[in-house]
Amino acid sequence: MSRKYSITENGAETSRIKKFFQKDFSQLIVFAIPMVFLAVFLLYPMGITLVRAFWKPASFNFKFTGWSLEGFRMFFSTRMYLKSLGNSIIVSVSVTLFCILIGVPMGYCVARVKIPGKKLLVSLGILPIIMPSFVGAYTWVILLGNKGVLRAALNWLLGPLGITIPSIYGMFGMILCMTLTYFPFVFQMSYGAFSGANALLEEAGMLMGAKRGYIMRTITLPLIIPSLGAAALLVFVRAIGNFGIPAVIGGNNYVLPTLISFAYQGDGDINFASSIAVLNVIITGAVLYAQKRIVAKREYETISATHTDIKLHENLGARLFAAIFCLIILVFSLLPQVTIIIMSFFKNWTGLLPVGFTLENYASIPKNSGKEMFNSFFLSVTATLLCAVFGSILAYITERKKPKGAALLDLSIMAPFILPGTVVSIALLSAFGGNSAFKMTGTYAILLISYMIRRTPYVYRSVSANLTQLNPSLEEASTISGATWFYTFRRVSVPLIMPAIISGSVMTLTTLLQELSTTILLYGPKTRTVPIQIYNKVLENNLGQASALSTILLIVVFAIIYGMNSRKGSDVSSALKM
Amino acid sequence: MSKTVRYENVNKIYAEGTKNAVHALKNVSFSINEGELFCLLGPSGCGKTTLLRSTAGLESISSGKMYYGDVDISTIPPYKRNIGMVFQSFALYPHMTIFENVAYGLRVRKVPNDVVTKKVTEVMELVGLQEELKRNPSPTALSGGQQQRVAIARALVYDPDVLLLDEPLANLDAKLRRYMRAEIRRIQKATNITTIFVTHDQEEAMAVGDRLAVFRKGVVEQIGTSDELYNQPSNAFVANFIGKMNFFNSHIVSTTAKTVVAEIDTTGLRIEIPKARCHAEVKEGDEVLIGGRPEHLKVSAETTEKSIPGKVRIIQHLGSFIRYEVEINKAITPVTFEIDMDSLQKDIHEGDMVNVSFDESRVALFSPKGREI
Repeated sequence: MSRKYSITENGAETSRIKKFFQKDFSQLIVFAIPMVFLAVFLLYPMGITLVRAFWKPASFNFKFTGWSLEGFRMFFSTRMYLKSLGNSIIVSVSVTLFCILIGVPMGYCVARVKIPGKKLLVSLGILPIIMPSFVGAYTWVILLGNKGVLRAALNWLLGPLGITIPSIYGMFGMILCMTLTYFPFVFQMSYGAFSGANALLEEAGMLMGAKRGYIMRTITLPLIIPSLGAAALLVFVRAIGNFGIPAVIGGNNYVLPTLISFAYQGDGDINFASSIAVLNVIITGAVLYAQKRIVAKREYETISATHTDIKLHENLGARLFAAIFCLIILVFSLLPQVTIIIMSFFKNWTGLLPVGFTLENYASIPKNSGKEMFNSFFLSVTATLLCAVFGSILAYITERKKPKGAALLDLSIMAPFILPGTVVSIALLSAFGGNSAFKMTGTYAILLISYMIRRTPYVYRSVSANLTQLNPSLEEASTISGATWFYTFRRVSVPLIMPAIISGSVMTLTTLLQELSTTILLYGPKTRTVPIQIYNKVLENNLGQASALSTILLIVVFAIIYGMNSRKGSDVSSALKM
Repeated sequence: MSKTVRYENVNKIYAEGTKNAVHALKNVSFSINEGELFCLLGPSGCGKTTLLRSTAGLESISSGKMYYGDVDISTIPPYKRNIGMVFQSFALYPHMTIFENVAYGLRVRKVPNDVVTKKVTEVMELVGLQEELKRNPSPTALSGGQQQRVAIARALVYDPDVLLLDEPLANLDAKLRRYMRAEIRRIQKATNITTIFVTHDQEEAMAVGDRLAVFRKGVVEQIGTSDELYNQPSNAFVANFIGKMNFFNSHIVSTTAKTVVAEIDTTGLRIEIPKARCHAEVKEGDEVLIGGRPEHLKVSAETTEKSIPGKVRIIQHLGSFIRYEVEINKAITPVTFEIDMDSLQKDIHEGDMVNVSFDESRVALFSPKGREI
């Protein structure tokens, strides 16, 4: 009732202070922590990296070496570096194209043709992404190497036609491995788009006299272009950032991530590594921009009052073709997984068939890799929990509070999603390695931070997608009922977005368990993880132990995904969208 | 505890100070009595929902004051205002049972468990859901009408000072809507909580509200009971928004102390209107509108005195009355007029020439300005 009295200067002051303390600060505190984290561990390191890229390259010297364009000059005047750049571009572009060529028809077959076992196809179809990709790479050496069993079979089949299989080491191997690893992105998204499309749109076209092919060309395909664009971008970004596959089967065909790693680990030259990282970011950025330009004009909102089921192709020819096509793709993409499991029970497999059945590969794990096991699970689980908290809060801020600069916030959260893991590592090393005031190299902390920076986007995307669908009046109703912001957040918002948090977290956990491209530059003697151990065993040619470790990883990852899929309302694919 | 609600010069400007600024509420001042069921009515974008959300505190106002009773609540956060609100989408929590949905506001207020059970049971009886409460399902398992009742119960359970209803019937089908609006009035009268009801449906507003405020473009055009708004609309907009009104472009021929004589353009028909039904300051020669509701005009096949000729375009049977759409003269706009008759005129068919006459005691005169929505 203070307003009834005339307020003096002093009175106004005290009431302002009073108001300040009456305000609901829980919101501010909750929001501030992830923002500060982003600023310190993402924006600052990225800034430092950009600065270092323009310093003079120097081995094992973290001090200021003087401004220079030497790093870029060296890159563009050395044949090997230029060739690596070319390799990177050729590999990622071809992988993207092949993924579209395989994924879209497969998505269409599963969504629109009457074939048995659709659900199984969809869930098996996601396996190649969630399996460690470099593990797949060395199995192709076993299968398609000079004495590989698959090579022998294919040569016997195709030899009379004059086709021979090129060497698995090099470009062919990289493109094959990455395509079989990443096509599920395109498959899953086009399957979703084809099966979710409004049947009425196509029926309307048919009633106006259009034939099937015409409808496909003018209605069906144009409508899936936005999702296809997003999936293609995802594949490109993954392919250009992949470290494991080129490191295992690239041979002397270097790509940008392997180059960054060798510049840093071989020469200790973080300035030159930064220059390459900046080039890598520029390419990714350009592709992202191009994708946005193409897709932006084609964002469609599906207007539908009623939803009718889409008619499936039912003629025998189409059904037979679709079933065989899907089966071949699936068998090929799951072959590595099967090979690993077989390999894990044998001493070696250099010829046609594995030799020397043994359980020693598993028995030796506690002794040889116990520490790595602990590290992997500890780091992945901790990072996942932190990602879940930060990702949901950040999603809540950008989606519900819509602060000024929300687009910028969104961009900086999503940036690590499209940045190669090696680039994120170089950024963290620039800021917190060498002579930095907070030296963190070789600690659990730097790995946790890198994992959080790289994986928060999963939970963030998944939750913001969920929040856009959630009517804000659900939260307003709580406020009206007298609840403070925090009460509403705890009792209404969080329970409602829980399925999204879970699916994002599962995606985070499963990918972190197999993380290699960031870890490879950041691990120390005490912080070795299972993927690092597998990678080293592969380099030592100890395939038996590598396979046993990989098999355990496969089982854990599969169990987590399976566990989540049997929960109602959670869907991994929402975390994959951009 | 029911309270009055009072607005003093309330203004709301979205994106203030920018090129895209929208003046959503312009100097809104009026008050709502204790225990009154008050309707905010107007076309979409008129500011009625903005005013409701500002009353709730979900939007801040740019200037002016709002009072609950004597307390200025303009800057009090919504969770301290002690109000109940029913949303258009109902906003029921899918992750809670109906009991927990209704109990939510009590849980927030840390009410002991036994009181929660007692109050929820009482309010569910009031809204007629005692049977459903025994099964206590998730709200998603209920029909639209039942969800509506849960939403009302949830807003009422903690005895709010003011109850706000934001287009609460928009998500229900036509028959249920008519039933629920009577239910809302019954429940409101039983609790006697001051209630603000927002709708764009004039029939709904007239049926449910003790008083109505008609909004247009952020301005309150008129406040009154349903009867006042229908029979004494203060301008052409209100006249045509509350019910239907036919307007004839006319001009003033002469004025006296008590009456005005106006002539309908191009017809030569003159009508004398008492000053009491003249809703505009007029002088000789002024352009005006003569307004007549469909039920105050008549069609007949015979020529009568003081009538204008027209051609029947469409005849619609609407149950209790028959609507004739008559094209009067291509030279005056609008071309067609709606005339309601109690019974079907056997000698009139679509395409026939007819005569339109006026019930002179009921027509009114308006200024031609701003009659559009």
